[in-house]
Amino acid sequence: MSRDPARALGAAWARARSPLLLALPVVLGAGAVAAGLGVWRIERANARIAAIESGHDLPVSADAPKPLLLARILQLARRGAIEEAEGLIDALADEGEPGLVARARYGLANARLRRAFAHIERGELDPAGPLINLARQDYRRALQLRPGFWDAKFNLDVASRLIRDFPEFDREIGDELKAEPKKIWTDIPGQPRGAP
Amino acid sequence: MRRTLCLIACLIAAPAAAQVRAVEVRTPRPFGYFLGDLVQATVEIDVDPGFVLQAASLPSPGPVAYWLDLRAVERETAGTRQRLRLTYQTFYAAIDARSLEVPGFPLVLASDDRHGSTTATVQVPAWSLGLSPLREVQPPRRADPADYLRPDGSGPRLRSEPMRTVSLALAALALAALGLLARDRAWWPFRARPSRAFAGPARRLAVLARGPQTDETYRAGLTALHRGLDAAAGQRLLADDLAAFLARHTAYRGQQDGLDSFFAASRLAFFGGATGDARAQLPLAEVAATARRLAAAERAA
Repeated sequence: MSRDPARALGAAWARARSPLLLALPVVLGAGAVAAGLGVWRIERANARIAAIESGHDLPVSADAPKPLLLARILQLARRGAIEEAEGLIDALADEGEPGLVARARYGLANARLRRAFAHIERGELDPAGPLINLARQDYRRALQLRPGFWDAKFNLDVASRLIRDFPEFDREIGDELKAEPKKIWTDIPGQPRGAP
Repeated sequence: MRRTLCLIACLIAAPAAAQVRAVEVRTPRPFGYFLGDLVQATVEIDVDPGFVLQAASLPSPGPVAYWLDLRAVERETAGTRQRLRLTYQTFYAAIDARSLEVPGFPLVLASDDRHGSTTATVQVPAWSLGLSPLREVQPPRRADPADYLRPDGSGPRLRSEPMRTVSLALAALALAALGLLARDRAWWPFRARPSRAFAGPARRLAVLARGPQTDETYRAGLTALHRGLDAAAGQRLLADDLAAFLARHTAYRGQQDGLDSFFAASRLAFFGGATGDARAQLPLAEVAATARRLAAAERAA
């Protein structure tokens, strides 16, 4: 009696063995081809990164592999196309790879600072101020993502010597709503206040 | 400054003093930090038994001062000792080495018992942090101000090695599985496998059934299946031996009808001299189908 389930199982295995053996190489082969396709895609992205780094102007879509996106952002930052690079950083920051995002922010901050230097050299101090502050924010974000990023520390130091922080002013910064609760309520119209 | 920062707050508030014995802030070193560095600080609070830190009173990560961020707060309890591990990040761009004060903050300790809950407030003292400059006060003069900056650098490349390994491993496994399949189906190089007597005849019949139909090919097809049956039985198998063969090889019992009509057609073709009638009775395609089923039954045996 106890042999019957074992025998049934054995018979089922014997029946299933041949179709399984037919499916196995197909499935494994498909997996190998898919992985090979992945390798090809990676190699192609690496080739494009190399092309971008050697100065070719290749547009990159937002869903491209992250290192390719970073290479494009750095290229745009080198050329001073800050606005275009900013748009791509959001796509890069969507998925958490802090090292890459830190490098992109650093590149962008460098571009801003170089633009600010150009303004200062022409004697235009007004447009330079906001650029320096934005650059400092980007360096700070890069350091928040990667505290051991020494180049970002160095350049943040350079930018911070152009515009110092003033603690007294800083405390005023912030968009907290400083309204008294009473005042808010009186602004609401049509309070019946118990009248019929 | 002292070598290790160790500030013990004398607690004046009378009710709290009864429950909190000591507050201490420790750092691995209170000096020598550059901008962007992480600063670890441990707050240790010795309390009466039963008191624990209230989670809502813990400082929340975020900016503490214009030059300082609080990044992480971890809480530990070791007996009557409540420990807070704080991770700060300083962004102070120092020109000369200087000490800045890290602000203190209040904490609430609570103890719940049968009579209700008792709370005690404790003030974590401010402590000072020594910050160092990263560059000289006056760097050497450069013609282009952009030369003061460190270069942009470049990002990493994608790594293809892991995916390549996976691909090669899968390809090797697929090849091995193909070998197993070839052995199971008696394909090349396992053609001569004795336990696959019907695989060869089934293949031959499939080829013949697809080709032009003549008496010659029909008889060749029948002969192929006869040779397969002979190999499976281990002897020359005639129509009369079929019952005994099926009794010995139970796997082929389901094919009895097909084998019966095969032997009938074979008798007609080889001994009745009426190959045409045999072909009408049992076309070669059906013989091929019988052989295929026999091969499948053989694989499942």
